[in-house]
Amino acid sequence: MFTRTSFLVVALSILGGALLTPLLAPEEAQAIPAFARKYNTNCMDCHTAPPILNAFGQRFLENGYQLPGTEDGGSTGKKKLSDLNLDDVNHYLGFRLIGNVTNSWRFKQQNPPGADAGTVENKTEFSFPNNFVVFAGGTVAKNVGFFVELGHDVAEGGAEVERGFVTFNNLGYRDLAHLRVGKFDPNTFSSYATVRQQLGEIGESQRGNCTAFAPCAFNRVGLAPSAFATKFYGLYDRSGNALSPFAASLFNSGAETGVDIHGRPFGDWFLYQVGVLNGSHEHLSDSNKGKDVYGMVRFDYAKSNFFSASLSGFIYQGNSNAKVQTEEDVNWNRYGLSARATYMMVDVYAAYSVDKINKTPMGVAGLFDSTATGLTIGADTYVTNQTLVSFRYDNLDAGGMLDQRTSASFIGLQAKHFLRANLAIFARGDFNLRQSEGGETAARNLRHAFFSGIDVVF
Amino acid sequence: MRIHALVAIGASLLMLSGASFVHAVKPEDNQATREKGKQIYEHACLLCHGVDGRGDGPAGWFLSRYEGPRPRDFRGGSYKFRSTPSGELPIDQDLFRTVTQGISGHMPPYSGLSEEERWQVIAYIKSFNQGFKGPVSIALLLPNPPGPPSAAGIDNGRTVYIKYGCQNCHGDNGYGDGKEALDGNLKDTYGHTISPGDLTERASFKGGSSAQAIYRGIMTGLDGTPMPSYADTIGGNDKDVWDLVYYILSLSQERQ
Ligand code: HEC
Ligand code: HEC
Repeated sequence: MFTRTSFLVVALSILGGALLTPLLAPEEAQAIPAFARKYNTNCMDCHTAPPILNAFGQRFLENGYQLPGTEDGGSTGKKKLSDLNLDDVNHYLGFRLIGNVTNSWRFKQQNPPGADAGTVENKTEFSFPNNFVVFAGGTVAKNVGFFVELGHDVAEGGAEVERGFVTFNNLGYRDLAHLRVGKFDPNTFSSYATVRQQLGEIGESQRGNCTAFAPCAFNRVGLAPSAFATKFYGLYDRSGNALSPFAASLFNSGAETGVDIHGRPFGDWFLYQVGVLNGSHEHLSDSNKGKDVYGMVRFDYAKSNFFSASLSGFIYQGNSNAKVQTEEDVNWNRYGLSARATYMMVDVYAAYSVDKINKTPMGVAGLFDSTATGLTIGADTYVTNQTLVSFRYDNLDAGGMLDQRTSASFIGLQAKHFLRANLAIFARGDFNLRQSEGGETAARNLRHAFFSGIDVVF
Repeated sequence: MRIHALVAIGASLLMLSGASFVHAVKPEDNQATREKGKQIYEHACLLCHGVDGRGDGPAGWFLSRYEGPRPRDFRGGSYKFRSTPSGELPIDQDLFRTVTQGISGHMPPYSGLSEEERWQVIAYIKSFNQGFKGPVSIALLLPNPPGPPSAAGIDNGRTVYIKYGCQNCHGDNGYGDGKEALDGNLKDTYGHTISPGDLTERASFKGGSSAQAIYRGIMTGLDGTPMPSYADTIGGNDKDVWDLVYYILSLSQERQ
């Protein structure tokens, strides 16, 4: 199934891993990220497998980077510096380098409509891990926290603030309301958070030179959780840039600017969240005319037997947040459910979402399917103390322009080996379950892809 | 304005926590105190220690995965960080110290809870174990160090370390690579593998990194783990114990 090159790549990465292991595998972690340093504890207090949080880590996040049940922000291990209480700087700073060092694709190159049938390509690239982030987070005073994340994508170049916000916590009484203002991940509190992925997102490759408000083809499909994806073919931002059906968006965009409030006013079993955002795809162009609003509720069961479960539901109402090719505005909404259960070494999570454009514009009437759905199911399990095996299934029932849209289903598998608590190597394979190579669409042209890479956090 | 007020509260908390071990605010251990403690427990401790105090909270498994330690089982399990003889329950001040300073590498410090709240939650976790209703254990006398460490004392400490077989578990140089550890023989009472840790990294000592804390650990042992109490052996010679303590502290300095 694998070609000779990709076989070679696999063999080389395994060999490389095996050579590195004895060099890098002392019993204890030497360096740990910011919060763990601050509290002199271990990553696994808060994570099932970084970056995925366990129940305790989730409550820590909700409480604005203060230990659950406390308002310790202003006091724990801090120095007073004029009006602010500050930790040592290394209690704020964290650094993560993650990405693939080998990318190996087998897919059928798509040619422009009318040209020859595409040719099958096997492509292997070696790269520097494609993403690194520097983040700073913590509390500056009791109940006042902040988080800033600077990201650098080697492929795209440049560094930008991916997320940056302040939090004001425990307004009213403990856990009644926590406020965030800035650029944040709206979906960070639900059962399946957008930016915490075990099988990270792999971007699609666009054919380039797409004209505004014209159909734009993708050379190769993107591998992002379908439940979080845009799902529609033939949607554009305000400047006419085609939105990728595979890219995370709306409630699941990972970073939008706005304000939101969440809390657990009735105890641990129930969480609410409401928010207002400038609107989607702000980074591509102007924010849209109207504000987008959302609400989320989450039910938790977290008591004993190393077991926890949660169920979340959300509604996201877009307000003129996209356009179709006739340049008419649409209100693009999303309704979703996500669930998660964790029992000892096993962590299973899923999200299902329905995207709806609530009035099909006249110009595309009869040509446009205004409903699309995405389903993602994932599972992680530790097979040994240091080895995590992950699985993900995605199904995208695409909507949008009937002549462009194509549905897709993928399976991804990954093995990640932690050489230290904060240093892991991984190998990942993704397979297209609808392998027909006909048609001019990326959703079908990929046969399989293999990646291996490294994940370092300190 | 608001920030100023918050900072002022923060600053006064900071001053208060300087006076950590004063128990002027220690509330009486009654039903009302335990009720308050329960509420704090449910927010702050339950996710690791579990609703019934069995150490099986929803976040508890991932801390050490297939190995030890798991969060403490408050119902019967033995306590590690005591000033009482091996096999006995800790005194309240031991629990207060653990909750306040946390357990390096495993449990965060709860100095962010007010002292009163810490005492309340302690009253609650004690209610899981009937043993705490019995007579209070007598704490061992923990004397102050006899004087500053000396080179000769540290040399003697090294001799004591070898004489009493510390290296069998902790390794010749304290890295935790003793034969018993490498052979996988070190298990806690739940049958989970427990690492002897790294004696050259004093910030990682779970019971605290001061000379007194190390002295206490050697004298009382860490119950529920293979780390024995040396009160009846080395304890007979107080100077040897202190020399050993200073030897262990010197291992961290060498590394710097
Ligand atoms: C992030 C998980 C976590 C949280 C939250 C947590 N603990 Fe612990 N706790 C642990 C672990 C793990 C141990 C066992 C460490 C060991 O055995 O080395 C422990 C042990 C203890 C011990 C036993 C110390 C001894 O002498 O053996 C006490 C007492 C304790 N915790 C109290 C609390 C209280 C009170 C709270 C809430 C205010 C709390 N813990 C919150 C993880 C946690
Ligand atoms: C049978 C094995 C064994 C022997 C012998 C042993 N230890 Fe330990 N020791 C351990 C283990 C296991 C731990 C870690 C327990 C834990 O983390 O819960 C430990 C922990 C410690 C700690 C750290 C305590 C803390 O607060 O984290 C010190 C200090 C220590 N031992 C000193 C000694 C000295 C000194 C000797 C010899 C006099 C000795 N040990 C002999 C197994 C042993």
